[in-house]
Amino acid sequence: MKHALKWLLLAITAATLTACASHSDSEQALAAAQISYQKVKEDPDVLRSAAKDLIRAGESLAKAERLSSYWGSADDVAHYAYLSQRYSEIAGQKSALNLHQERAVKLELERQRLQLALREAKLLSVQEQSNWLEEQMVSLATTQSERGLVMTLGDVLFDAGRADLKASANRTVLKLVQFLQLNPRRVVRIEGYTDSRGEVQENLELSRARAQAVADVLIDLGIEAKRIEVQGHGDSFPVTENASEKGRAQNRRVEIVFSDEQGHLGSER
Amino acid sequence: MIYRPLCAILLALLISACASDPAPTEQLRLTEQALTQAQALGVTAGQSAPLRQAEEKLAQAQAAMQDTDYKQARIYAEQAELDARLAEAQHLTAKSQQQLAELSSRINRLRRQLGGLQ
Repeated sequence: MKHALKWLLLAITAATLTACASHSDSEQALAAAQISYQKVKEDPDVLRSAAKDLIRAGESLAKAERLSSYWGSADDVAHYAYLSQRYSEIAGQKSALNLHQERAVKLELERQRLQLALREAKLLSVQEQSNWLEEQMVSLATTQSERGLVMTLGDVLFDAGRADLKASANRTVLKLVQFLQLNPRRVVRIEGYTDSRGEVQENLELSRARAQAVADVLIDLGIEAKRIEVQGHGDSFPVTENASEKGRAQNRRVEIVFSDEQGHLGSER
Repeated sequence: MIYRPLCAILLALLISACASDPAPTEQLRLTEQALTQAQALGVTAGQSAPLRQAEEKLAQAQAAMQDTDYKQARIYAEQAELDARLAEAQHLTAKSQQQLAELSSRINRLRRQLGGLQ
């Protein structure tokens, strides 16, 4: 009877133990969880950004450790060790995420600072370029005290008796456009002139048509029409005597009068 | 005679092992929520081992519920919840890492351009 009871007890014990995970498995899981927890619990960043998960990792680990001293609780040990391990991993991830976000805030500030600096540098270089262009324009033009800055497009830029601008005028015209784009408040008055040969009325019309041709090109290249005034003066206001062919060529011209930077043009003729 | 206490202990163990736990419906709800949250971020079982584990364990927990094995259901559900939460945390961390790399490369580009102007 006594023997029978002994065997029965043994059998029950064996059944209870085999029903559960093997002892060594749970010990391994526990050891792994302990290592994971050690790694995160000393980390001040983890404590700062994932305190809750860290506490739960510790609690689950304590439970697993307590259960590991009891018989037949290997399943529970493995379970709580698993939970502890996961909490430790989650805490580690959250801490990394938080560090990334903090770094991203700093980098974003740096990026904005650099972007501003780049914008300023570009603006500066445009201004420098604009100053350079202004010097160029001034070198092309002459200053006439009562009219302001005046640039002369010579007769060679037009075919005789025609109003169309020749291709050789392109460089000058492009420079003019660029100058006006960089100085958006400046306006221009384009004035056409002829020599004294031919009918007065025809000369007036031709001079106006040539001035208009220059204005048209500027408008085609993107300058607003309202910034451009057009006048034809015919053979009035010659720059030199009409006696020689050379003098007449000098009198056939288109003059571009620039306003000051505030957009004020000199008085008309 | 000396077997009597041992007997009692074993009996207690057996009873506790077989005692019916309450059905872990609240835990299952939490687990499903955690899993949905991770999946909503676009995490898939293909990319994330923890997410795959979460899906498998949730299925096992649901199967255990069907068998009214509530203890096993709770164990699976608890583990699946943390698997899903880990998958989510890993995803967010990886994303923030990408964001940092992107920011760094933009900063480098800006520095190069600034260098070119000076």
